Amino acid sequence: MAVLTETAAPTTAPADRRTARRRRMLQPRWMLIVALKALVSLAIVALALFPLAWMIISGFKIRTEVVSTPFQFFPEVWRWQNYTAILSDTAFLRTLAITGFGAVIFTAGSIAVNSMAAYAFARLEFAGKRYVWPLVLMTMFIPGMTILLTSFIVVTDLHMLDTLAVLIIPGMATAAHIFFVRQFYLNIPSSLEEAAVMDGCGRWGVYLRIFLPLSKAPFVVVGITSFMAYWNNFVWPVMTITSPELFQVQQYLAAFRGERASELGLLMAGSACAALPIIVLFLVFQRQIIANIKMAGLK
Amino acid sequence: MAISAPAASRRRVHPSRRQDTSMAYIMLAPVLILLSIFVLWPAIQAVYLSFFDWSFYTDSEFVGWKNFHDVLVDDKFWDAVLRGLQFVLMTVPVSMVLSFLVASLATSVSRRVSTVLKVSIYIPSVISGVIASITFVIIYDYSGGLLNALINIVGVPNQAWLGDPRWALAAIAVPAVWLGLGISTLIMIAAMLDIPDSFYEAAQLEGANWWQRTVYITIPQMKNVLLFLLVTGFVGSIQQFELPLVMTGGGPHGATELPNLFIFNHFRGDAYVGYSLAAALLLFVVLGTISSVIFRIVNSEKLVD
Repeated sequence: MAVLTETAAPTTAPADRRTARRRRMLQPRWMLIVALKALVSLAIVALALFPLAWMIISGFKIRTEVVSTPFQFFPEVWRWQNYTAILSDTAFLRTLAITGFGAVIFTAGSIAVNSMAAYAFARLEFAGKRYVWPLVLMTMFIPGMTILLTSFIVVTDLHMLDTLAVLIIPGMATAAHIFFVRQFYLNIPSSLEEAAVMDGCGRWGVYLRIFLPLSKAPFVVVGITSFMAYWNNFVWPVMTITSPELFQVQQYLAAFRGERASELGLLMAGSACAALPIIVLFLVFQRQIIANIKMAGLK
Repeated sequence: MAISAPAASRRRVHPSRRQDTSMAYIMLAPVLILLSIFVLWPAIQAVYLSFFDWSFYTDSEFVGWKNFHDVLVDDKFWDAVLRGLQFVLMTVPVSMVLSFLVASLATSVSRRVSTVLKVSIYIPSVISGVIASITFVIIYDYSGGLLNALINIVGVPNQAWLGDPRWALAAIAVPAVWLGLGISTLIMIAAMLDIPDSFYEAAQLEGANWWQRTVYITIPQMKNVLLFLLVTGFVGSIQQFELPLVMTGGGPHGATELPNLFIFNHFRGDAYVGYSLAAALLLFVVLGTISSVIFRIVNSEKLVD
């Protein structure tokens, strides 16, 4: 590799390279490659989104059309009835509302507790830091299944079963989020902090007036991740929630599939409605989320 | 001067440091309390209770290593572990190759096309396992599903994708790959963009084609990221259990009972949790060992230079 770079460095001047590229772009072979790439890109987009499109389209079908012989891709007539039916079903709406409500509290709590801890780990010197930080990090590597059963025992002992608290509180503190926000705080120049302290700002003042306003980017990432984790959670609600009034959306869908298996169009419409908030949320914040994943990949 | 300076600075630091300690613990309190109650304590309990015949209904009895012994001699546990490895082989290589190809494409097209590619490949990752399961169950439907309609076109008769032990695990691997492709692709794109352009320009001057550039530049340069994705892919894939839980419940005849689902089903069906806990801990140890072995093997190979 080193040999290659050495030979490359002194040769082509930028101007030469640009004209060379322009000349190449006019060649038919080049245009063919561009067309091919566009076609393959289109195919990938179509394949990636196909199952979702399939789900949404199936929501417009009557029950016998969803799985039918002979097979039909599009419905004979596009009907909104499944979507209007599921969205006027009070049980489903209540499920969406209670899941959304829980997710918002969970998200806010997750941002609050994890960012405070991140600040302490990033910016404060305190007795025992050397022992507390590795302990917190360690919790990141404990597999979910290993503690699933004993977590269930713990929440049973705490009389949290079948309450909203059991869905919100146990997963709120997350080492990965603390780590992520801490990384961000470590990169904030300490001169900002020192200037504030000179002006008579206390530690809390520094946190509230300097760090919080600067934290929008990491908070968006932690917030979206938390919201999605809560919204998409299935196993934990199934284990801990038994009252239909507290059913979470994924749990509701799975139960629906079990109990009303024949109403496939309705099930597809319900699934589409349950997926939509998350997809919209992702699309709104996709830039930040994608940037965050890049950072995760580099480290 | 030389002597008094550190003393002065120590005096200056000391009071604020003590103040920091109390403030730090106030800020850490919620996290420390929550992690202790809901992660550390359950982890300690898991280790502790795995030595007992514990259930919700009877007094616990210390049984020593019996639970671990029971797991280790249980063929069903080993079947589940082997099935998990089989599932890894079905998902991880496919996922790595696909995301590598998509990433290569995304880094060589215009920025706008690249964004569209990135966003659409990632969208499935935000969908829940339950919704993916429901959709794929309908795609796999025996008598009127999309997949059977497609294979009928080329003259192949209908298959019971989820009902046939030969197909069921592969049928679950497809949505697993679909759901997981986005993250690995984005990570690979980031890694590819980090490779200096000069490497490729030099190679192009030497007349290297796409394949040669990929083999001699891209892959060696991405070694660490590929290794990271291999290990996380392995760990994530072998722990998959939501898809089989919703799609098949582990059937037919246990063909899709992956290790975590095996443990979960055991927990639901068995009043004594000792066995399930021992199995979960053993799996944790087995997984840790296998990932560190993968890490060693791949790391020891001299891929660069």
